[in-house]
Amino acid sequence: MEYSNPELPEGINTSKSHPLKEFAILTFGLLGLIILVLTATIVVVDNFADKIPFEVEQKLPVTSLLNINNTERLPPYLNTLTRKVVNSVNLPVGMHITFHYVNDDTVNAFATLGGNIVLYRGLIEKLQNENELSMVIAHEIAHIKYRHPILSTTHGIVVGIALTALSSTVGNSVVNSLIGSTGDATLMRFSRDFEYQADRDAIKSLVALYGDAGGALGLFRILAQEDTKASPFEFLATHPLTENRLQQAEKMNARLSTGHKNTVIEYPQDFRSWLTRQHSKSHDQ
Amino acid sequence: MYDLIIFIVLLAMGYGFGRYAEASHYKSIIKREKQLNKIPAVATRIPPLDRQDLNSQLVSGSVVISVDYFKRFVAGLRNIFGGRMIAYETLLDRARREAILRMKEEARGLNAEFVFNIKLETSSIYKGRRNSVGSVEVFAYGTALYPS
Repeated sequence: MEYSNPELPEGINTSKSHPLKEFAILTFGLLGLIILVLTATIVVVDNFADKIPFEVEQKLPVTSLLNINNTERLPPYLNTLTRKVVNSVNLPVGMHITFHYVNDDTVNAFATLGGNIVLYRGLIEKLQNENELSMVIAHEIAHIKYRHPILSTTHGIVVGIALTALSSTVGNSVVNSLIGSTGDATLMRFSRDFEYQADRDAIKSLVALYGDAGGALGLFRILAQEDTKASPFEFLATHPLTENRLQQAEKMNARLSTGHKNTVIEYPQDFRSWLTRQHSKSHDQ
Repeated sequence: MYDLIIFIVLLAMGYGFGRYAEASHYKSIIKREKQLNKIPAVATRIPPLDRQDLNSQLVSGSVVISVDYFKRFVAGLRNIFGGRMIAYETLLDRARREAILRMKEEARGLNAEFVFNIKLETSSIYKGRRNSVGSVEVFAYGTALYPS
């Protein structure tokens, strides 16, 4: 008996298609699907989150949860200014905003659940004048006005649940990290929209208060210097690129500005010296 | 941000090195298959009954091949949608052929005329995090018949 092994042609047991083709179809298919499903879910859920009464938010122990109970009383100037800005915004009935001041070098300010807005000394010091500070305050007020904190919280919960469910069925750590990043990118998209919306509203308030949006332009120029460490890709950030925010502000300023010049209001002298005292107090400790 | 860069670099490295390793492995497999084709490996269980002059001995060959980052990623995506696991097809094809080649090389050392009753065993070893396949082992064995 004769035995022989034939020489089989190549490619019988393997596929001839290019591996990158499969990679592209699968990756973009999955990413597209996740973004689509999450976006649709968020849009649906937003309709319900909107209906959560503001009083419910206010009952949450936000200040202790976020560790912002170390805040101090606002100095008279900040008190008057915040009130002035709040009055320039048409807040819905029953919405009350509480301002907190933190004596810390952090260059930041944020709005959170329950109508709480936190201002850090670090940011106030960086700003050059009242117009810029008003821009920050008006921006944070707009977040509260549009219920952004409760919406963001709901988005986070919804996306978290959806992705956990998906990840646990996939069981591949590499793919799971991709799924996680896609979820983050979807969330950040909404977050950036919130920022643009808050900017637009704040610019309108600025124009109402000072005649132009110079404070917004000044603020974004300062932020641009600050965020050298930030991501160069907008889709990976919670905030839009400062460049793009500046552009929006410039466009709106050109359109809305009433044309009055010299509307810049400097920080009053007593507020400046108060800031200096706060600075040294914080650094002495 | 950095996660994404690391991910892309790993993916590109996996793809580049994986493709290179696969191409050179296939080249070597095809070359050696031609050389060793004179020792047929057949699946029949019955040895040639007309040959009383042959001795027999177990010959085996095994190989472990690792999945690269790129393949693992594509396979992970494939797990979601289903369909042909193209990424793993070449991996297993290479492993099977290499294992048979190693077995045949052992048979050549015995001056064997052929190997009969060959069998192949496949196992995934190193189940990584969440049971993702790290590498595969293919073990080929058979009975070499060589002139006494």
